[in-house]
Amino acid sequence: MKLIKSIVRPNKVDDVKDALAKLNISGMTVTEVRGHGKQKGHTAIYRGKEYNVSLLPKMEVEIVVPDSIADDAIKAIVQAARTGEIGDGRVFVLPVLESYRIRTGERES
Amino acid sequence: MSITQPGTGSALRAALDAARQELRAEIAAGAGGGVALERHADRVDALLHQLYVDAGVPDRPVAIVALGGYGRRHLCLHSDIDLLLLFGGRIGPSEERFLRAFLHPLWDVGVVVGHQVRELDEFVELEEDNPEFLLALLDARHVAGTPALFDRLRELFHTAGTHAYILRALLTLVEERHARFNATLYQLEPDVKEAPGALRDLMATRTLAALTDPLLLRRGPADPGRFEEAEEFLLRVRSILHLESGRNQNVLSHELQERTAEVLGYPGAEPRQRVERLMSDYFRHARIVSRSLEWMRRAAPVPVGPNLGLSRDGIRFLDPVRAARTPASWIGAFQAAIEAGTEVTDEALSCIQQHVERYRAEDFAPEPRDRVALLRLLRPRAGLYARLSQMHDCGLMGRIFPEFDAIAWRVVRDFYHKYTVDEHTLLTIRNLEWLLTKEDPTRERFRTVAASLSAPELLVLALLLHDTGKWRDDEHAPESVRMAEEALDRLQLPREARETVLFLIRHHLQMSLVAFRRDTDDPQIVADFGRLVGTEDRLKMLCLLTLVDVEAVSPDTLTPWKEELIWRLYVDTYNQLTQRYGDELIDRNQAGMMELLAGRPADLPEAEVARFVEGLPQRYLQLFPREAIYRHVRLARDIRPAEVHLSLEPSDSVWTLAVVTLDKPFLFSNICGVLSSFGMDILRGQALTNPNGLVLDVFQFSDDERFLALNTDAHAQVLHVLQDVVSGRVDVTSLLRGREQSVLHARSAARVVPIVRADSGASDRYTILDIVAGNVIGLLYRISRVISRHGCDVDLVLISTEGERAIDVFHITKAGAKLTEAEQRALTSDLQGTLEGPQ
Repeated sequence: MKLIKSIVRPNKVDDVKDALAKLNISGMTVTEVRGHGKQKGHTAIYRGKEYNVSLLPKMEVEIVVPDSIADDAIKAIVQAARTGEIGDGRVFVLPVLESYRIRTGERES
Repeated sequence: MSITQPGTGSALRAALDAARQELRAEIAAGAGGGVALERHADRVDALLHQLYVDAGVPDRPVAIVALGGYGRRHLCLHSDIDLLLLFGGRIGPSEERFLRAFLHPLWDVGVVVGHQVRELDEFVELEEDNPEFLLALLDARHVAGTPALFDRLRELFHTAGTHAYILRALLTLVEERHARFNATLYQLEPDVKEAPGALRDLMATRTLAALTDPLLLRRGPADPGRFEEAEEFLLRVRSILHLESGRNQNVLSHELQERTAEVLGYPGAEPRQRVERLMSDYFRHARIVSRSLEWMRRAAPVPVGPNLGLSRDGIRFLDPVRAARTPASWIGAFQAAIEAGTEVTDEALSCIQQHVERYRAEDFAPEPRDRVALLRLLRPRAGLYARLSQMHDCGLMGRIFPEFDAIAWRVVRDFYHKYTVDEHTLLTIRNLEWLLTKEDPTRERFRTVAASLSAPELLVLALLLHDTGKWRDDEHAPESVRMAEEALDRLQLPREARETVLFLIRHHLQMSLVAFRRDTDDPQIVADFGRLVGTEDRLKMLCLLTLVDVEAVSPDTLTPWKEELIWRLYVDTYNQLTQRYGDELIDRNQAGMMELLAGRPADLPEAEVARFVEGLPQRYLQLFPREAIYRHVRLARDIRPAEVHLSLEPSDSVWTLAVVTLDKPFLFSNICGVLSSFGMDILRGQALTNPNGLVLDVFQFSDDERFLALNTDAHAQVLHVLQDVVSGRVDVTSLLRGREQSVLHARSAARVVPIVRADSGASDRYTILDIVAGNVIGLLYRISRVISRHGCDVDLVLISTEGERAIDVFHITKAGAKLTEAEQRALTSDLQGTLEGPQ
């Protein structure tokens, strides 16, 4: 199993969700996050005064998928979240050692 | 029988003596209390009535009015006879003759008359320099003369404002009087009229109740019967003092204590024992009076409006029966509570709750002033949420706004909302109130936006109605708009305000949709959103509405993440509206153009309207109502190069000047200079230029020196000077010489650090100059003069003020092009120097 953690533009979350749904991936955790990568924020000007916006609002989408469909999921996320501009985000892939269903205590393979 | 005819002057004396003799006998028998004094007052009434008859009827109606203690029919043996001689018109020779004929006989027999002579019209204005007279008037009683005149006096005198003034004056007088007695009632030789706990305190207690809530007398620390016993005791003692001293003497001295104890029949073998019993009774009664007054001073509601009083537990109706009949006065109770930082009492809420079902929505604000009061109530400030909640709880909110009643306790099941729809709505208003009143550095940027709103009550009105459509299960915003239209019909809002409220309700979900779900890095998304909101004012209101609406969904819904997204969209759209509007010009296919042409008045040909508006920024159609645009078209009619056409009109507390002319160097600077030379403070405005060089400048300014209000020919004078300056016949600097210190060399308000920023990237056609500075008269003149001196053309200007800050955005070009980097640096440096200090 893989934990796929994507940092995407807020307005791309729906597109990512739709793309994952097409792969029958419906369970996910979506979190509001702020940060910066290469984009490093930007300077906003309001009424002649400059404001440094260093932490930009992003959305973090986490899914756990079987190894067999991890690549397809990653491709779907990248395709759905891409605009081609700086600030499109990142996808991190981590191995998942074990997973348990809390309601039943059942271990998932 | 006449008592004033020649030879019968002694008849008056005899009648008076007889009255006094009768009173003396009663006092000597220890019975000089209330009943005896009233009888004595009645006899004096009869004498005065006869005097009035004998004095002959003057030309104007006259009324003889008893005042003070005599007005209360407590006329002591040697008390002054306090009278008001009231005339129904101007006092002339006939009235003076009457006065002599009436007063001289009284003086001749040695009666001390405390008389006031007034014309009725003098009571139109409150006589603030004579609080004792106003207090005495509270006990006014008609004795003789024209009763209707007396009735008119009562109508003029008994107003909420007068009562409030008397109440304040009375409390001050009591303080001062007590101070003379070291604020203690335990005097060994007490003055039974003036001392703490004596007769004046007793009357002060009654007056406080009469002016505020008569029922308070029954609720005080003393049983009403004991209060009256105290009065009777004090009157009897005072009567004995007058009898024994033969004059208006009120101090119960050691010598007179023995005699008083004897007259009142106190038991005891020794005078000392009788005196001790007398004084023990005196202190007992004085303590009752004193405690009652103290309690009344704490409990009596202070009048704060028509039939409204402020007491310790909040705002109450002074007369609940009257309140029940006048639903239009109820809104005032909540307004007063907010102003006093308190609540509306449970008693008043019960009164409203009991009667509210009898009235229709229109009954609560039937007159224009009531509708203005309702809107004023909605201004966001501390206490608004709590008071609106009280209005909701007692059923008033749902009657004034039946639309709101439709969502009372309404449950909408979804994943996000934690509260019923009505409470969610009220919480949005609370959030706005908190934003304005609570110190929260993380919200400072939004607070500044909220504080800059010119009509924040419209935002609150929109919040109040934005979710009313949720009484239905389908899409609620259109239904909310439909319901709001009905509410706004009743409120009869001006068209522009009405459109703003409906806009906010119609689009109340739009900003969160764009901010959270659209790519706001895409300039087209921001431009579309900018076109939707149209003006900075609407943007500000929609931004705040979105913020407080999201926050009211649940405690966790508005995260810093969402705040940031809302703020970013706000800033980007603000910049779009103020910096890029010059690139979007009106053409014939422009939205709104068809309506403008179709709705034009008969005197305006289609071609003339189109020629005027085409090429102006699209923003023009959103900023000005159609009627104003038609007025501008008329102003532009037949304009020639050297001419200037103007209109100057008052609107609310400001004046609006519209100027149409053909563009020329220093034009904007000259107009600003003329306004400054008359001491006008420019608050808001637009300067627009179309591609043909036609200029439309619209200024709103305040006339702080009241030049336009106080001078009958001021209007013509301003227009004349403007014509002369704009056409080049007069040099504006010569007009400003007398004001050089304040206009040419004025520093910005010290607390505002000037900001000057030039940007040639924001607009396709213009260099944008953003200026924020302390607002002072002449600021725009100084800025625009510097711009013109640099050879730049002022093409478009947005002028606004927020408190002491002026926020101006200039769209400028030089020889038809944007400024170079070097030109920008030179200009901004010069402007910065101008704004930071004397030139």
